[in-house]
Amino acid sequence: MKFEKRRANTKQEIPTASMPDIVFMLLLFFMVTTTLREVDVLVDFKLPEAKAIEKIENKRLISYIWVGRSGRIQINDSIVKLSDIEPIMYSKRQELPNVIVSLRIDKGTDMGLVTDIQQELRKAYCLRINYSANIKI
Amino acid sequence: MLKKRKIAEAAIPTSSMADIAFLLLLFFLVATVIDVDTGIGLTLPEYIPPAEQVNIKVDKDRMAAILINENGDVLLDGNPTSVFQIKNNLKPRIISKIDLPSNKKLIVSVKTDRKTNYNIYIQALDQTKQAYFEVRDEYSNQQYGKKYNDLVPEQQDVVKDKIPIIISLAEPESVNK
Repeated sequence: MKFEKRRANTKQEIPTASMPDIVFMLLLFFMVTTTLREVDVLVDFKLPEAKAIEKIENKRLISYIWVGRSGRIQINDSIVKLSDIEPIMYSKRQELPNVIVSLRIDKGTDMGLVTDIQQELRKAYCLRINYSANIKI
Repeated sequence: MLKKRKIAEAAIPTSSMADIAFLLLLFFLVATVIDVDTGIGLTLPEYIPPAEQVNIKVDKDRMAAILINENGDVLLDGNPTSVFQIKNNLKPRIISKIDLPSNKKLIVSVKTDRKTNYNIYIQALDQTKQAYFEVRDEYSNQQYGKKYNDLVPEQQDVVKDKIPIIISLAEPESVNK
């Protein structure tokens, strides 16, 4: 058998006609996965570090509570009192029954405050919590 | 067709569509927050008013009571230890209870003072979780030759059933603030 070198007589170009489609696919993916940052954090906090850390798969289930260095508590966009936590979280739980409360608490906070918040959460039946922590290397 | 009429081509120029799409793509790429929330998960017990609380006697053998005072000193079952020894203390106790029925598994109870630093509490919880995770990993390595995270969900359930993580948060004592 003899091989012949055959020159392609077509133009050598990458077809770009489907490029917009590909890009739109990517775009759609990012649009679906994006969760835009909704709140401004008003308190100053530094998370503790831990090793045995789990990821929360479902970001949409999370509801945050921030506790700053000064002991101020923030939910949503405002600073709240300790006694406000129960009604706020209760209404959140009614919207999202399996809400996970992520506690972003400054590492210098006293446990007394943390326990108080936990008691409020228990009263509001928000029982799934997550102590937010950074990974320790 | 009977009549063939020549029609001027009325097409929308699509050559710039890719560019527009790229711009949009870039916007979403930049705006996306990919960082996942990480932390130590826990399920709180249901709230029971103090008047209705019933004390259930738990076998001393099942309990691992961690007590942390405001100076950061740790008592594990009455013996003073450091936070970083909790893991090694708990591990043999968890392992020894793998084959026991579910109502005999270890319960880790964490109790703190009101003035205890939150960071130490997290360290203690972290140590406890680490102990459990390591025991789970070792057990699944023995049984399936894989780490816990690499197991299929059914196997994970078996391991979970054998080594459940039971962390009990002690009911806070009423203290005059």
